Amino acid sequence: MAEVLGRAFRRNEDFELLTGRALFVDDVQLPGMLHAAFVRSDFAHARLSGVDLEAVRRHPGVVGAWSAEDLGDYWQPGPLLVPPPPIERLTFHARTQVPLARGKVRHAGEPVAVIVAESRYVAEDAAALALVDAEPLPAVVDLERALEPGVALVHEDLASNVAAHVIQERGDYAAARAAADLRIARRFRYDRGAAAAIENRGIVADWNPRARELTVWDTTQAPIPIRNGLARMLDLSESQVRVVAPFIGGGFGPKIMMFYPEEVLIPWIAIRLERPVKWIEDRRENFFATTQEREQIHDAELAIAADGRILGVRDEFLHDCGAYDPYGLTVPINSQCTLLGPYEVPAYRSEFRAVFTNKPIVTPVRGAGRQHGVFVIERLLDLAARELGIDRLEIRRRNYLAPGAFPHDNNIIFQDFAPLVYDSGNYAPALEKAAEIIGYEAFVREEQPRLRAEGHRRGIGIVSYVEGTGIGPYEGARVSVEPSGRVSVATGVGTQGQGHFTSFAQIVAEVLGVDPAEVAVSTGDTREFHWGTGTFASRSTVVAGSACHGAASAVRQKALELAAGILGVTSDDLVLEGGRVSVRNDAGRSVALGELASRANPLRGAVRPGAEPGLEASSYFGPDRGSTASGVHACVVEVDPETAEVRVVRYLVVHDCGRVINPMIVEGQIHGGVAMGIGNAFYEQLVFDADGQLLNASLMDYLLPTATDVPAVETAHMETPSPLNPLGVKGVGEAGAIPVGAAFAQAIEDALPEYGLEILEIPLSPNRLFELLERKRKEALP
Amino acid sequence: MERAPLLQRTPIVPIVNGTPRESEVEPRLLLSDFLRHDLGLTGTHVGCEHGVCGACTVLMDGRAVRSCLLFAVQADGCEVVTVEGLTEAGADGGGDGRLHPLQAAFREAHALQCGFCTPGFLMTLIPFLEENPDPDEGEIRAAISGNLCRCTGYQNIVAAVRRAAETLRG
Amino acid sequence: MRLEGDHAFDGPRPAVWDMLLDPDVMARALPGTERLERVAEDEYRGVMRVGVGPVTAGRYDVTVRIVDKAPPARYTMEIDGRGALGFARGTAQVTLEEEGPERTRMRYAADLQIGGKVAGVGQRLIESVSRSLTAQGLAALNGELEARLARRGKGAKPGPAEPA
Repeated sequence: MAEVLGRAFRRNEDFELLTGRALFVDDVQLPGMLHAAFVRSDFAHARLSGVDLEAVRRHPGVVGAWSAEDLGDYWQPGPLLVPPPPIERLTFHARTQVPLARGKVRHAGEPVAVIVAESRYVAEDAAALALVDAEPLPAVVDLERALEPGVALVHEDLASNVAAHVIQERGDYAAARAAADLRIARRFRYDRGAAAAIENRGIVADWNPRARELTVWDTTQAPIPIRNGLARMLDLSESQVRVVAPFIGGGFGPKIMMFYPEEVLIPWIAIRLERPVKWIEDRRENFFATTQEREQIHDAELAIAADGRILGVRDEFLHDCGAYDPYGLTVPINSQCTLLGPYEVPAYRSEFRAVFTNKPIVTPVRGAGRQHGVFVIERLLDLAARELGIDRLEIRRRNYLAPGAFPHDNNIIFQDFAPLVYDSGNYAPALEKAAEIIGYEAFVREEQPRLRAEGHRRGIGIVSYVEGTGIGPYEGARVSVEPSGRVSVATGVGTQGQGHFTSFAQIVAEVLGVDPAEVAVSTGDTREFHWGTGTFASRSTVVAGSACHGAASAVRQKALELAAGILGVTSDDLVLEGGRVSVRNDAGRSVALGELASRANPLRGAVRPGAEPGLEASSYFGPDRGSTASGVHACVVEVDPETAEVRVVRYLVVHDCGRVINPMIVEGQIHGGVAMGIGNAFYEQLVFDADGQLLNASLMDYLLPTATDVPAVETAHMETPSPLNPLGVKGVGEAGAIPVGAAFAQAIEDALPEYGLEILEIPLSPNRLFELLERKRKEALP
Repeated sequence: MERAPLLQRTPIVPIVNGTPRESEVEPRLLLSDFLRHDLGLTGTHVGCEHGVCGACTVLMDGRAVRSCLLFAVQADGCEVVTVEGLTEAGADGGGDGRLHPLQAAFREAHALQCGFCTPGFLMTLIPFLEENPDPDEGEIRAAISGNLCRCTGYQNIVAAVRRAAETLRG
Repeated sequence: MRLEGDHAFDGPRPAVWDMLLDPDVMARALPGTERLERVAEDEYRGVMRVGVGPVTAGRYDVTVRIVDKAPPARYTMEIDGRGALGFARGTAQVTLEEEGPERTRMRYAADLQIGGKVAGVGQRLIESVSRSLTAQGLAALNGELEARLARRGKGAKPGPAEPA
């Protein structure tokens, strides 16, 4: 049965997706369905006196229009999705988004009214007739200026724009600093980008007044929390609400259980009108109305010994929350924790302030703050290596945690509220493997000088990272065998392309001895399974996968016990394969799984007390804490110093996500992650002007990498199983995206040693690189 | 009221996946909305509504076009093929049943993850492979550079195209 | 967005001043203006229709206030335009310098906040559109000044001497 796990099975979900039959939210068409459009604020910060919807309501085809004033008691700030972790001296001000702005708008694109009409075209025509009475206020845009005295306040009930202040510390940094032979202090910046899933968000709500049931199709990564929250808000019982996350066209974080204004309002309107209502986000809305990530400014210092050993790190950073902070501190805590990397850092002092600004809300986007931590520590090590005259690989080798150091307690608190403890890892071999595959020594000694002599500027970058994945609280799964012999699995997580229909099928197929192609997986439909949280933090395979394994194992146990009775042997004498339970070494004596399913659900006789009918079991899995994946990224880039054009010549990822269920899927996750990382590092930047206007709110101006920008990514796997779950797996969904900026920066510096560049910011657009090169050229002039 | 809904409707007869579809549409109705909502052919996806992402690509008289940049009235009398038309058009009875060789190659090479952009890639590649049955990697990458995929990093799509080209050359 | 420039009119400063503050002329000189009415001393309201690149021509309700008036040397316009496709607001300082009896140099410096669809989607084209709108406006003003001076030349002529 070992051949089921670890094999590149083709995906079960592909047929529907390839033939155009897969159901996405915008494909839901219901009789009598109405369409919604939102009126959004053009101003980033303004006093809102009201919205006049009279002309809107008179417009032919409009069925209803609502501003905040029309929502009555339903108008409530959204839930705080993730409360702050239990860290001493932490301060946190929860200010969550509202369904429609009232009194004030806090970012451009914040909705102020919703209009429902017979078609989307008519709804948008009518939206143009809304009169928004708003008086603009000075906008809070720049992170540092946001903290200056006398500046405008995003939330005027607070004393400042500080949303949170957190200090985490281990060891004595002051002593480490005093003992250091070298201190490297720099300022690092990461700017904003968009997740930019190709499918925008959308929601369809259908209220059945006779059954008193609400069905909601939602582009969410977390249908169960959405169902529970909607039931509460709408004063319905949870069983009256069904939330379906069908096929989702990419998630990457922002489709988490946000309780976006649209998510909260469309079901409410559908109930009031007793008609189905659909809202589909358009691309421009996506740039304002869907959450974003990544702006931070770090002032960091590395204290290091002459032999390259890290003595300590101090980091102070500002984190941009945007206008509201419903997702708590997950992103900056990830930055804070991930900075420690695969290294022994005896003293660490990290302090951050999360800051409210008049920009769209920040919540996790693939990587979720981990990029920043990796960028800071890897850049500091590169700079230290340069100063100390130590090879880049060597300085990392000297600081890696030893293979025997696990579990390793970092003595700080992670985003899952548990202590940041690395479960397992083996870092140096990944580095050696990467160096070998990319040919580091030969490149540095021979290839690079030869190419330079020919006029080509090529550089190499190699960086390490660790990634907290697979956090709790828990997920569940139900595995059933029907009398027909069909095996089905239901789990609560949503799926956005990660291949769950295949990897979960493989996990169950391995346990039950059936073909993975025959296992039907249901995800993201609360009618099928309604316990769990969702798809985020590279956790689905770890947590839901383990639950699938548990449920399948319970079904297996049940099948074996039943068969033992029927075949008159003990269950130890039985084997389960090819959909049958048979007596070991006597294949003639066997019984099909389907037959066992019938026997387990008899029409006469009795199901024994304590037993459950059917060949079915549910199981739940909640890890104590996350499992720590790790890896090394290496790349070779060619830079044209005249034009600042950068071409990625090779890109290699050596990745350790514990045991691999399906290598094809794992590699696919890495390829896509790297592509997104390259976009983040070199092409993608959300540019806001001083008034908080987003200046590139279209895919014409916000550049996603295309097939001509992204190289083929080479991959190699290491397997250090996690001891925290029965499968030994760790997460992989975000790994590709996390260290790209750090690898990219190192490689560019390496390509142009004569410039003495220090790349301390991401994204590094071609324009920005050109500016940096020009500055160096001017400095070099006598 | 400044702008009343346009009630004027224009009769059109596009031939969609081989079948003439007599319809009456508002002149401003996008071809993508017509295919998806009027005809229920929801395999054509809309990702940006401004012609950049390529998810809505369909064939019109054999050429790959962006259905979000065309009005339905422009398709009057034209042959339109959507991803739904691909399966029947290319039935090959291979391992993946009724999949077109290009679709089968996408599955084999894991060239799709969320699958949202996939129909647009397929429809872009059909005429490309007809014109260029033996493309090299650079040509393939150039051919799909007008289609955005956020999941795959493109390399498995490139691999799928090479595989499909091989199959189609026979 | 900042918009700065200067332009020489072939006419005396008081005539240029009178022209610039005539709401009918303003309506003609601001391209896309459908109407502009005086609603109070030095306050005008009207409707403009302007398109920027991929953002189709949309209707903007515009209020213009003239403040800090120092005839015939300088004034400031406070502009507030709002529509379904976005907004433009800010101030424009206009100064008139006498370069000769028949030559007046106008300098203008506008600081405008632009928001909404126009800013997010039309950004790349805002500057070139602004430049072309300015050029159209100045051409209209040249024509208007010429016509005014010609009219004045025909009638009794209390103003400065006609151009040579």
